[in-house]
Amino acid sequence: MSKYAIEVKDLKIRFNLASENVDNLKEYAIKLMKRELMFQEFLALQDINLKIKPGESWGLVGANGSGKSTLLKAISGILKPYEGSVKVRGNIAPLIELGAGFDGRLTARENIYLNGLVLGHSREFMKEHFDEIVEFANLKKFLDSPVKNFSSGMKARLGFSVATIVNPEILIVDEVLEVGDMRFRRKCNERMRQMLSGGTTLLFVSHNIESVKSLCENAVWLDGGRVRMIGSSQEVCDAYKEEQNRLVRERKERRREQLRLERKKYDYLIVGAGLYGAVCACELTRAGKRCLVIDKRDHIGGNIYTEDVDGIQVHKYGAHIFHTSNDAVWKYVNKRAKFNHYINSPVAVYKDELYNLPFNMNTFSKLWGLRKPQEVKERIAEQIADLHITEPQNLEEQALSLVGTDVYEKLIKGYTEKQWGRDCKDLPAFIIKRLPLRFTYNNNYFNDSHQGIPIGGYTGIVEKLLENVDVMLETDYFQYSKENPDMFEKVIYTGMIDEYFDFCYGHLEYRTVRFETERLEEENYQGNAVVNYTDREVPYTRIIEHKHFEPEAELEQPKDYTIISREYSTEWKPGSEPYYPVNDEKNSKLYEKYRALAEKETHVIFGGRLGQYKYYDMDKVIEAALADVKKELEIKM
Amino acid sequence: MKLFKYRIKTLFKYQDLIRDLVARDLKLKYRRSFLGYVWSVLNPLLIMIVLTLVFSNLLGKGIENYPVYLLTGRLLFDFMKSSTNNAMKSVTGNAALLRKVYVPKYIFTLAKVTSCMLDLVFSIGALLIVMVVTRSPFHWHMLLTPLVILQLYIFCCGLGFFLAQFNVFFRDMEHIYGAVTTAWQYLTPIIYEISRLPDKIQILIKAFNPMYYYVAQFRDLVYYGRLPGPRVFWGGWLIAFFMLFIGVWSFQRSKDKFILYI
Repeated sequence: MSKYAIEVKDLKIRFNLASENVDNLKEYAIKLMKRELMFQEFLALQDINLKIKPGESWGLVGANGSGKSTLLKAISGILKPYEGSVKVRGNIAPLIELGAGFDGRLTARENIYLNGLVLGHSREFMKEHFDEIVEFANLKKFLDSPVKNFSSGMKARLGFSVATIVNPEILIVDEVLEVGDMRFRRKCNERMRQMLSGGTTLLFVSHNIESVKSLCENAVWLDGGRVRMIGSSQEVCDAYKEEQNRLVRERKERRREQLRLERKKYDYLIVGAGLYGAVCACELTRAGKRCLVIDKRDHIGGNIYTEDVDGIQVHKYGAHIFHTSNDAVWKYVNKRAKFNHYINSPVAVYKDELYNLPFNMNTFSKLWGLRKPQEVKERIAEQIADLHITEPQNLEEQALSLVGTDVYEKLIKGYTEKQWGRDCKDLPAFIIKRLPLRFTYNNNYFNDSHQGIPIGGYTGIVEKLLENVDVMLETDYFQYSKENPDMFEKVIYTGMIDEYFDFCYGHLEYRTVRFETERLEEENYQGNAVVNYTDREVPYTRIIEHKHFEPEAELEQPKDYTIISREYSTEWKPGSEPYYPVNDEKNSKLYEKYRALAEKETHVIFGGRLGQYKYYDMDKVIEAALADVKKELEIKM
Repeated sequence: MKLFKYRIKTLFKYQDLIRDLVARDLKLKYRRSFLGYVWSVLNPLLIMIVLTLVFSNLLGKGIENYPVYLLTGRLLFDFMKSSTNNAMKSVTGNAALLRKVYVPKYIFTLAKVTSCMLDLVFSIGALLIVMVVTRSPFHWHMLLTPLVILQLYIFCCGLGFFLAQFNVFFRDMEHIYGAVTTAWQYLTPIIYEISRLPDKIQILIKAFNPMYYYVAQFRDLVYYGRLPGPRVFWGGWLIAFFMLFIGVWSFQRSKDKFILYI
């Protein structure tokens, strides 16, 4: 006696493809004359060696037609080996095509008996366990109706119940549990686990890699009838998945290459691989248009680009926190990434005092030691009244008239002056229209219904969006369009609008930020993702500690280093990286002039933050892109 | 010998299944029909009446108590025809099941022949009714009819096995066999007496038509009230086992390949 429950040795299974099609004499005679019968043989399995000890659980993975079901059939004795041997010790409960063995004309009751007998149980035994089977399948009401009236889920339930009535020594499951409702699936899984813990050997075939991983310790990967890999299910499944992804990628790549060779024209040239461009490219491609995305930078994603630095997602162009109240947009991004539950609650440091942001009861109680909202309101009103400002002439007066002296001095003045590089008294009042004060102890910076950070960074979202789109990096639009003027029909331009028109009316101005990113050999530098520095003496406006955007990654794998970015506001001059449009009167007027020019460029759509000279949150960018694409497609129709 | 023992053991293990399959066939045959099992008796009776009306003045001339003569032949031939026909389709018809679990495939063939035999037993009721109505004498020899039925059962099993495996590879068999049985029926003395045929053909039939042996024995016992001659009696057994051997041998040889073709 060997110690294996299943022992497969040099197994080879051969199908005769030709004769499978020949089932009448005429064809047979013809084929025989043509001598075709001998040649078309097909090895469904070859060189399969497998040793399974009792109590082990094995998963079989592989593409369609790789021989998984054939192997199961060989093990359960349905198929006989052409060469090699299959030895099985113990009784087998096969769950292959549940319900296939039912006679539709018979009632459920009769079928239970018939099916049980087919599985080799005695009538006596079936009688004993009949109630138990009905109970598990939960089909008492339908016992006496013919099975042909059953749904596939009901049949599967019945089949599963009959097949697992004894604790079999070997359980063979072939993707049968994909039908049936959630509740029954759970019940089945529970039963299988129960059997496994009771020492049953499990052989499991599924296309659902996750369920293979969770049910099986070991796995075999079959490929074209041969064993490709054998080992722990974790390893095999991961390798298999990797391979699947690679094949899909390759197929796409080949297609793209082919189109490129044919020198087919693109419908759209999209300039800028940022969020706006990527959403446009994705939606247009889905509508059947051919798009080419080009970007000056050496990476996709524009300013939402995040880079994996030693396991920490670094927001290269400033902190990006996704928040929206638009359900459709939230659904849109969640389709392309998993979001965590990050809630932005920044902290402000003034000298050696620390305050919560946004301005809320935590902030006020720290400032004045007051606890009741009413007291706070009175205090602020008092301070505002004392100032006697009737018509604010500059930003300082404007802010003071909104929040009073203390909040302004400690939390607004220095920060704003650093941001704009000049004194608040010299700044126009309109920059601050309102300053939201919150009379609750809620530190959540945003009021939107959805908020979070995509796990693994933003770049993944853009990657997903551009999955089926041709992308050329480090490509300048002006150069490209000069060299390939006939490669595209229309342009979606997300660069600076003034640059497009060669600055013919002069430069639009931007507020610019400079980052000093640094790796620190400490576990936790500031305890929060965002800390603002509101006194003027500290040169930077804020420090971002990137690891705190993904607290769950840190929990899973704590790191003893951290990455921080100090953010400096700098004077903008032509040529520096543009961040925030300055929507003052002068610049707005200038933009209007450019926009008039843009409207004459009928084959170009200007979009995004730079193309429309407008401050956009990420959700608003997506909204705008979706709307623009919709409009564009409607025109075409 | 060990293999043989193992075979018997599995047959024993699956006896409940055979019983259930037989029960299924019988149940399904008359499910939802008003008269149910009565049809097993009524059907041969009606056909007998039609045949009697049509043929009694043509072929039946000079045959005493033509209805009983007719029925004794027809019952046996119908059993052979329906059992082998069903057996032929037994493997292909259960393809879904055979692809799913390991079950000895001959079980299905065996079950089909057996259920047809039970049908025959019911139909004998029709024969008894006709005998009572036509006041034909009952002989003690009738008690020996089970021996004849057993012979025929063995023969049909053998032929059934052979056809079942053959049909897996060549589905044309189903259509060819229909024509074969029709010819066979006319070459068997059912509606006529064999003595009416030319001598040469008589010899051929007696030599090569197995059904002749069973019909002749059955008629001897029921219709003529006499023991069959040794030639037909031993010949019947011999043919039955010979057919069984051919059937089992051919089935055994190709059964592992079934799964590739169904």
